[in-house]
Amino acid sequence: MTEMQQGDQSAILRLKAVSAGYGRRTILNDLSLEVSRGEIFALLGGNGAGKSTTLRVLLGFLKPSAGEVTLAGQDVVADPAAARAHVAYVAENVALYEHLSARENLAYLLTLAGVTAEASRIEGALEAVGLGVAARGQRLSGYSKGMRQKTAIALAVAREVPVLLLDEPTSGLDPRAISEFHDLLDVLRARGTAILMVTHDLLGATQVADRIGFLSEGRLTQVADKSEDRSFDINRLYQAYQTAQPGQVA
Amino acid sequence: MTMLRFEWLLLIRSRLTLAALIVLSVLSIFAVARGLHEVARQNAVIAHLETLQKNDMSDLAKAYGPEGDAGYAAYYSFHHTFDPPSRLAFAALGQRDVLPYNLRVRALGLQAQLYEGDIFNPELALPGRFDLSFVLVYLTPLFLVVLLHDLVSGEAESGRLSLLRAAPKAGIALWLRRAALRSALVFAAVAVPFVAGAVIAQAPVAGVMGGVALIALYVMFWTALCLLTAAFGFGSRINALVLLSQWVILVLVAPTLAHIAISRSVPVPQGVDIVLKHRQLVHGAWEVPKDLTMQRFFHSHPEWKATAPLGKTFEWKWYFAFHHVGDESVAADVATYRGRILQRQALAEGVGYLLPSVGVQAAMERLGDTDIRGYLSYQDQIKTFHTALRRFYYPYIFNKTPFPEPEYAKVPRFEPRSYGGGIGGFYLLTLAALSAGLGGGGVWLMRKRIV
Repeated sequence: MTEMQQGDQSAILRLKAVSAGYGRRTILNDLSLEVSRGEIFALLGGNGAGKSTTLRVLLGFLKPSAGEVTLAGQDVVADPAAARAHVAYVAENVALYEHLSARENLAYLLTLAGVTAEASRIEGALEAVGLGVAARGQRLSGYSKGMRQKTAIALAVAREVPVLLLDEPTSGLDPRAISEFHDLLDVLRARGTAILMVTHDLLGATQVADRIGFLSEGRLTQVADKSEDRSFDINRLYQAYQTAQPGQVA
Repeated sequence: MTMLRFEWLLLIRSRLTLAALIVLSVLSIFAVARGLHEVARQNAVIAHLETLQKNDMSDLAKAYGPEGDAGYAAYYSFHHTFDPPSRLAFAALGQRDVLPYNLRVRALGLQAQLYEGDIFNPELALPGRFDLSFVLVYLTPLFLVVLLHDLVSGEAESGRLSLLRAAPKAGIALWLRRAALRSALVFAAVAVPFVAGAVIAQAPVAGVMGGVALIALYVMFWTALCLLTAAFGFGSRINALVLLSQWVILVLVAPTLAHIAISRSVPVPQGVDIVLKHRQLVHGAWEVPKDLTMQRFFHSHPEWKATAPLGKTFEWKWYFAFHHVGDESVAADVATYRGRILQRQALAEGVGYLLPSVGVQAAMERLGDTDIRGYLSYQDQIKTFHTALRRFYYPYIFNKTPFPEPEYAKVPRFEPRSYGGGIGGFYLLTLAALSAGLGGGGVWLMRKRIV
């Protein structure tokens, strides 16, 4: 387990010495983080550790007070709209348009993303996430949370973006849906997508992530790397997670 | 086009939106139908009274023709004056339900006849007029509030706002497109029935275009206000509350306060006061020495001075002279009355530049020629006609020329005034500038806080 994130030339998502907050309240404190192509990075931390703020900074919703943020080499602070072309985001509670079908949702949101909404692209993406053909034309109001999750991921697949940001992706999913979701992330990893996953689910993270970072008071306190720690030592990770919780002493 | 297609799908698949648009369309269609029906009813009343007028004159000619006295003819003959509704009156009935559009006048003193009907009917005023201008000014903003109060907040509350903000090509255009589509549908719900009504009424194209422009600009004004409110980033409930408060202030409270302020600053004597004063003068004339009355009359009408002096018995020329003098005696009161009314109207139109609800209501009534200016124009037409009546009868009365039955056919007939309505381009520009200012502020704030 390393104490800090190492520099990586192949990194496609990069936060370098980033500080950000709301008003006088600093949330991210000199945070550095990199995720490479084909890598899944799980970011864990307690409430208020700065997980969501990290995503907001990466999406260009929040301007950092210091540091550099780049996505596929694009400076997020200088041109957030251009940087967003390289990233897809799936929120914790996946919310798409209930009155539209999965196909229509994808077509609409792809158009908003500036991507041509070709039928083959949409069908291919829905196929890739394993959404049944019969369900694709139904309105989302009849979908389960897992199916919505798949639809949202399908959007990212269809956009063919190099970076995917996931906010608590397994929250509220049943075990089978979680397993299917992990399979889906494997597919995306194999395609070379860099995935940053914000989660509270340590066990799930050990199953799917390549690296797990623990965020506390706006900075990465520890990073566990699967390549170094072949099958993550859950006990050590749990201890690290506990340490990262607010009010705990390392 | 694809983008609009999806926005359209989202709109029509929302039951609330669909219901709101259907209700507004039904209200507009009903208002137009009611306006057309009322216009047709008023035209029918006018036509019916015209028939009665012809019969009346025919009976009068038969009754008093053999006697050949112009005094009887002038005294007993009522002449039908009327103010037919304009072809665009269906959209804004204006003052036509409380102020007379038919008046039968005699060649006697005019002022008492003119203001006799100037009595405000509170029973008619209480429920208001349900016409298209009412739907536009009072109800349309409410429907815009329903459709636009959650423009951004609805997406935030349903958890989609981050997704939309993260979409690279969404930007401000997304919100403008959505607002524009909703507003366009609201506009269509009001404008299409208006145009259909105008086609049925065979209204002039320029007037129809003016009306359409006015509807569009008023919808734009409220859309801009909704955008500005949405840009602050409050929740849907707060937005709805703020927008409804704006509606209450802009449509109900501020116009009422403005009306009170104008009424207090420009007091207008009641028309009935002129009637009473005129009647007192006319009735009092029976007690005034006839020579004195005639001197007063000849002073302003020297052309009749050379006619034969009065005898001891009753003479029509003395009777008509004291009526005429009665009119002249209240001329200053009439001028004050009309001047104050016009002053109030001008002030109300001035307020309309700041309060679009007042301005658009006034503009719609101006377009329909159904406002107070239209009514005063009708009064002017009556006065012109009444003068023509006097000019016709006086030579017979003052020269004691016989007035046999064939002469009745020569009595002047009332010609209605021509359409004097329209919409001022300057007002439309002002409303457009106001809407653009508010909308621009909304876009700027949205770029800063939401996009």
